[in-house]
Amino acid sequence: MNQGPDGAETHGFLGEEFLTWLWFRWETGGGEFTLPGGRVVGVALDDFLSFAAPSDDETEQTLRRGLPTRTAEARTALRQGRRLRKARLLVAEGARQWTTTLDAPTLTCSGVRLPDDAEECESDVDRTGDRAANWLALHEIVQALYATFLRERLRPDYLQTAGAEQATWMAS
Amino acid sequence: MPPIRKSGGVVVYYWDGDLPAPADAAFAAALANRRFRTIENAASEEVSIGWVTPADPTGDSFDAEDLDGGLGAWLRCRIDKKTLPKKWLQIHRDAAEKARGKKLSARERRELKDDLAEKLLPRVLPTIQLVDALLFPERRTVLLFATSKGAREAFTKLFFESFALPLERANPLQSALRAGLGREAESRLHGLEPVRWPRADAEARHPQRRPARDVATAAQETDA
Repeated sequence: MNQGPDGAETHGFLGEEFLTWLWFRWETGGGEFTLPGGRVVGVALDDFLSFAAPSDDETEQTLRRGLPTRTAEARTALRQGRRLRKARLLVAEGARQWTTTLDAPTLTCSGVRLPDDAEECESDVDRTGDRAANWLALHEIVQALYATFLRERLRPDYLQTAGAEQATWMAS
Repeated sequence: MPPIRKSGGVVVYYWDGDLPAPADAAFAAALANRRFRTIENAASEEVSIGWVTPADPTGDSFDAEDLDGGLGAWLRCRIDKKTLPKKWLQIHRDAAEKARGKKLSARERRELKDDLAEKLLPRVLPTIQLVDALLFPERRTVLLFATSKGAREAFTKLFFESFALPLERANPLQSALRAGLGREAESRLHGLEPVRWPRADAEARHPQRRPARDVATAAQETDA
């Protein structure tokens, strides 16, 4: 078994940057992503946001219900350079829609709701197959979005390009 | 059997190495080797963890069709726990102390507990937890439908005991290393530091400082 430091401990911040980047891309670009293989998905933030504490001495901030991304508290948190730790996401691909709460430091999805079972499902075996495909699709979409973020984030000129654009958005 | 769940939490794991195909007899044999064993009649506090199938909660059979989870294999781990009910123990201790007119000593309390365990545990039914997972061999990925630490640890230990393969939990580093980013990008991952986003409130207090865009560009990273 792996005895080294947990990647959630060493790189949890990267998950938080990813979630904050999703918000940035949703608000500035509409949240539509074309993923490898031509897969087009839409992502939006829903009714739950939790901002990471900037340090051990400071508090986490949680906003629930309604449209928390539109609140003055959320804008203030962004202006203070705070990253998202957790958020409720709507993920759509074609007619399928998932909702999930993504815990950024661990990339764990909780409170997932899969799309409705396909109309063609006639038996429980069919439904299991359909749901298994939907569970896998959600995982693949999150992983592909994360890879898209990382391709930007790991560029040597990130801070001068996409990072600078995000900083402007956060400060606005 | 009812279909697999359509809501809840999921934790992703990866493995490296080869696993028998779920349709192979070797896969069923590995599960059977660590099958669930009942503790229904046990006379001591016990925990039993082992494989069952969604169609057969006893662990007696591992037919390939019972593991069919569409694109993946549907695994089910059963965790039974038998413990002496604490309230019963307290009731008996209180009764004994009342009859004696004084508190029991530590040795007497231990003897009372042992005596009660012998009498009560064969009659106590274990609690049952069923933990489901979908396994996708081609992707070397497991989706575990349990987020509690106890269930995660029980499942990963059982998986290791069954297939001699450790499971690595997905996290921002693991998922990045499996995202096919290329060697150069991967090498940058290890020294990566968080972006220090500019604080607009600090800027308001110090208007002579550079605008936000420049401050962000100047944020320092050890990998840069």
